[in-house]
Amino acid sequence: MGPPAVGRLNAPRPALVEIGPGGAPRVVNREEVTLVREEWRVVDRWWTEDPVDRRYFEVVLESGRNVCVYRDREAGCWFSQKA
Amino acid sequence: MVACLLIPGFELRAALRLRPRLALAPAALAPEPGEEPLLGPVTAVAETAGVTPGMRLGEALATCPSLVLVDRDPATVEREWEGVLRRLEDAGFAVDPVEQGVVVFETKGVERLYGGVRPALARALEAVGSGWDPRVGAAARRFTALAAASVARPGQTLIVAEKEEESFLEPLPLSLLPLPPDRYAELEGLGLRRLGDFAQLPQDAVAERLGVEGRNAWRLARGGRRAKVRGRKPAFELAEALAFPEAVANELTLRRALGSLLERLLARPERAGRPFRKLALAARLVDGGSWRRAVTLRDATAELARLRSALGPKLVELPGPILELRLEAVELAEHTGQQLALVEPAGEEVGVRLREGLRQVRASTGTGSVCAVVEVAPWSRIPETRALVVPRDT
Repeated sequence: MGPPAVGRLNAPRPALVEIGPGGAPRVVNREEVTLVREEWRVVDRWWTEDPVDRRYFEVVLESGRNVCVYRDREAGCWFSQKA
Repeated sequence: MVACLLIPGFELRAALRLRPRLALAPAALAPEPGEEPLLGPVTAVAETAGVTPGMRLGEALATCPSLVLVDRDPATVEREWEGVLRRLEDAGFAVDPVEQGVVVFETKGVERLYGGVRPALARALEAVGSGWDPRVGAAARRFTALAAASVARPGQTLIVAEKEEESFLEPLPLSLLPLPPDRYAELEGLGLRRLGDFAQLPQDAVAERLGVEGRNAWRLARGGRRAKVRGRKPAFELAEALAFPEAVANELTLRRALGSLLERLLARPERAGRPFRKLALAARLVDGGSWRRAVTLRDATAELARLRSALGPKLVELPGPILELRLEAVELAEHTGQQLALVEPAGEEVGVRLREGLRQVRASTGTGSVCAVVEVAPWSRIPETRALVVPRDT
């Protein structure tokens, strides 16, 4: 019997993001951003073939929801994720 | 008759199964990390280039600069060897494995089935498969059968009749005897090179000079004892594995993974309440090799905490980051009565209800519907590597 299919918890999901000045998100999944609460960078595994270079933003949307999105600087795409 | 099936350099052959091209190149099994730098088995091409098994690594590389070192892969070797044994068992042979690459069995029970000793041995070779270059020897005694297999060519069956045993063993080299290397040198220094020379010495003189191991070797040189071959107990498949999405080296992560594997193994219905006597931990290393450690428990147990403390320290011996951790139940003890608790432990009833609830969910929604979250690296800065979702279908 082979090992069961193990999944990742909290895997990133592609997000539709429009950016404003300074590269911060202005619209996330067609919803206006009212506040950028926090911003940080994660640079890791630069010594491997699969390096991680992400710029995270924790934002508050128009509806009042808190969302965390990041721009993957390796792939050049945006993702949403619970950080 | 006692038959011995031999696959020389089994460890190397098994490790090369995934890289068959290397079998045609000068390659050798790398020395064990932390041990003396001596080569393991070598390929025929390497042997032609002057590299021999047991040679010092530096000397081997100086002799053959293009020599490829193959990492040891104990988990694959174990799996392939188990496959060979099972194929022999499927063909009707009650096997008694001596070591990886050497197995002994009695032909008596299957001679009528296959129409004689020779057809039975041919069936054994066929069951193993020609890809392994097996050879088989048969004789009335175990050591003679092993000696016959050692001198047989790949795919050959060599049968030694009982009255010819002595003359067959006489010209064979002393290296067939299970003696430490310094003993061979000592015997060679005394001018002894063949089994026949050694067997002619007086028993008492051998025992006085070489001790117990010398006396045992002397008996073997005369053919050894006529002992019955006892087939092993049929093996069973009881194992759980966890594949990591990325390489893991952290001890805490590994301990958590081990905990999850133990829980799953304990929940397997095939165990039927029997405690574990012997377990093996195996891992697939990120660089392609593998690692395996077996643990025999002093008292057979099915207690999670005791199993954790017995197996946990083994994880420290892992030589590098791993991609998969596997836990195998090698041997189960017979079911023994357990002392019941006078007062049921707190939370026991809730646990029983929870298990029953999960069982019902699985029954209605199918496999893979119930999962457990295993925290593997809660400190990680990358959120998706902090925990894994592992299906719990038992």
